[in-house]
Amino acid sequence: MIVFLAKDKLPALLSELNEMLEVVAPVRIGNDTAFATWVGQPIDFEKNPQISPTEFLLPQREVLFKYIQHSGRYVFEEVEPKSKLILGMRPCDLNAVKVLDKIFGTEPFDKLYFRRRRSAILAVLNCSKPEETCFCSHLGAGPECIDGFDLLFTELDSGYLIESGSSVGMLILKEHSDLFQEVKSVYLAEKNERISKAKETLNSRPNLSKDKIMGALETADWESMGNNCLSCGGCTFVCPICHCFNILDLGVPDGERLRCRDSCILSGFSRMAGGVNPRKSAGERIRNWYFDKFQFIPENTGLLGCVGCGRCISVCLASMDRWSLKVPR
Amino acid sequence: MSDYIPMQAEIIDIDIESSNTYLISLKILEDIDFCYRPGQFVMVSVFGLGECPISITSSPTRKTLQLCVRRAGRITNGIMDCLVGDIIGIRGPCGNGFPLEIMKKNIIIAGGGSGFATLRSLVNYIVDQRSKFGNVAVAYGARTRRDLYFMQEYKGWQQAGVDVGITVDIGDESWKGDIGLVTSLIDKFKLPQGSAAICGPPIMINAVATKLMDRGFDHSDIFVSLERHMKCGVGKCEHCMIGPYHACKDGPVFSYDKVKKLL
Ligand SMILES: Cc1cc2nc3c(=O)[nH]c(=O)nc-3n(C[C@H](O)[C@H](O)[C@H](O)COP(=O)(O)OP(=O)(O)OC[C@H]3O[C@@H](n4cnc5c(N)ncnc54)[C@H](O)[C@@H]3O)c2cc1C
Ligand code: SF4
Ligand code: SF4
Repeated sequence: MIVFLAKDKLPALLSELNEMLEVVAPVRIGNDTAFATWVGQPIDFEKNPQISPTEFLLPQREVLFKYIQHSGRYVFEEVEPKSKLILGMRPCDLNAVKVLDKIFGTEPFDKLYFRRRRSAILAVLNCSKPEETCFCSHLGAGPECIDGFDLLFTELDSGYLIESGSSVGMLILKEHSDLFQEVKSVYLAEKNERISKAKETLNSRPNLSKDKIMGALETADWESMGNNCLSCGGCTFVCPICHCFNILDLGVPDGERLRCRDSCILSGFSRMAGGVNPRKSAGERIRNWYFDKFQFIPENTGLLGCVGCGRCISVCLASMDRWSLKVPR
Repeated sequence: MSDYIPMQAEIIDIDIESSNTYLISLKILEDIDFCYRPGQFVMVSVFGLGECPISITSSPTRKTLQLCVRRAGRITNGIMDCLVGDIIGIRGPCGNGFPLEIMKKNIIIAGGGSGFATLRSLVNYIVDQRSKFGNVAVAYGARTRRDLYFMQEYKGWQQAGVDVGITVDIGDESWKGDIGLVTSLIDKFKLPQGSAAICGPPIMINAVATKLMDRGFDHSDIFVSLERHMKCGVGKCEHCMIGPYHACKDGPVFSYDKVKKLL
């Protein structure tokens, strides 16, 4: 099913959806754009936020369970996540979700991740405005979304084309049909034109295909890269596929066991009792970061561990030339 | 219920193995049949402090679940500060354990330091089913006499027909046994080729494995139990990555040919 929504009708659609679910969307916050719970703010589809919407599937910090002491024993309580509709997730991030689904879906199945995942409706936005650092098309992860979405938006001059990709998506389109208009063939032509233009922009950039990157990995000077890296962990915290986490307790005798995002770039990440550390130097840790994305995750899931969203490039304090694997002078 | 919620277990006994190591016996308070194999571990919770991986040191052939815990930091201190009757959390069993179904009948077991805790499970498993195995030898080394674990059990192992060699790095007047590295014990055993189970510091693992390969052991018959930082115990948190493997799920026991290059 495919419909057209005039631009001025978007807030009305979101208000109606908001009555049933929590709507998460890219909104302006100061000079920045970020995914946040929508409470009427203007939507900003211009920029792809630095923190990916996968944050709502694997949050920086979430409660695994609460432990409560009760006559010498413990009782445990779990928290049910709220149903969400995530609007404006771009194709790269949707592809990242597919990788996370595989990682958290391999035995033993991570029930907590899937509880959030199942209660999230993904309304993806075809990407007509790649950022300067994006290279998704080189890895087959954008700018156009093919499958895996519930709803797919394409921004046009006067409104949005909205396609359904699942029965939930179709139900939503049917339920709010009074807001939509019929799709004219010029709209479809405009969609194609916008996507071709985005593809052209992306493809005109230096080739960053998997083979090219794998080649660079073979000859990379990890020590110099490590010397340059500030070990801030930024590249891992913004990556939509990075999912390392820590587990810790807060509160005695009653409290919460938390799952918090962690980073393999940080020096204490693999350190063991007695100080033994299999990845002591920053160079070894960066090397592991690359090999995980381009070799280990593909071996374990069949999918690449990078979708070319470019966030790790724009966030890097050391301005590493990430994908040519050269050290800036 | 999520897999991150632990079972509750009551501490029913605490034995002192060395000044910084306790042997803790547990009774699981849930109505389940807790099955495990030698070489597996559990994630132990002290609520309020957190969770950490501890090998199961008892053998599944015996009734009581036992852990051997050494003071290393916050959580291990928390476990050791517990008293008999206190409740801790247990998640698991985690990891693969020793692949007894593919291991040869002649087995050498070599441990260094606190790594011997996980091997004791295997030793007692073999001792309890002695007739199923061939020549079995145990080589164990610790820093000093005071750091040796399970001293009261060596005699029983020998009586069951297991060769037992014990060595310390630093001897004193009260120590009458061997002084030196675990590798030197292996020279003493008249071992036919078979399988090996090793746990200890990486240098010790490599030295023992190399020695055994010189003696004709195949690298795929040598099984090493590796220690890595772990948080989730189910292959998701990525702390324990060794190349493409997760030590908590694909390990902690690996055949040496698989991980030789990654150590
Ligand atoms: C498979 C496996 C089996 C183990 N079996 C035993 C055992 O039978 N008996 C025993 O006493 N110990 C065992 N350990 C080691 C034990 O898990 C660590 O000593 C413990 O996690 C340290 O936690 P802590 O809070 O006491 O120390 P902390 O105060 O957290 O830190 C002390 C040091 O330990 C490191 N560390 C912290 N958390 C972990 C972790 N989850 N895994 C590894 N290192 C960590 C820290 O980086 C730090 O260097 C085992 C470890 C593994 C991986
Ligand atoms: S590695 Fe960098 S470009 Fe690739 S998905 Fe992660 S943040 Fe985006
Ligand atoms: S963002 Fe740059 S400086 Fe920071 S850890 Fe990553 S590579 Fe190093």
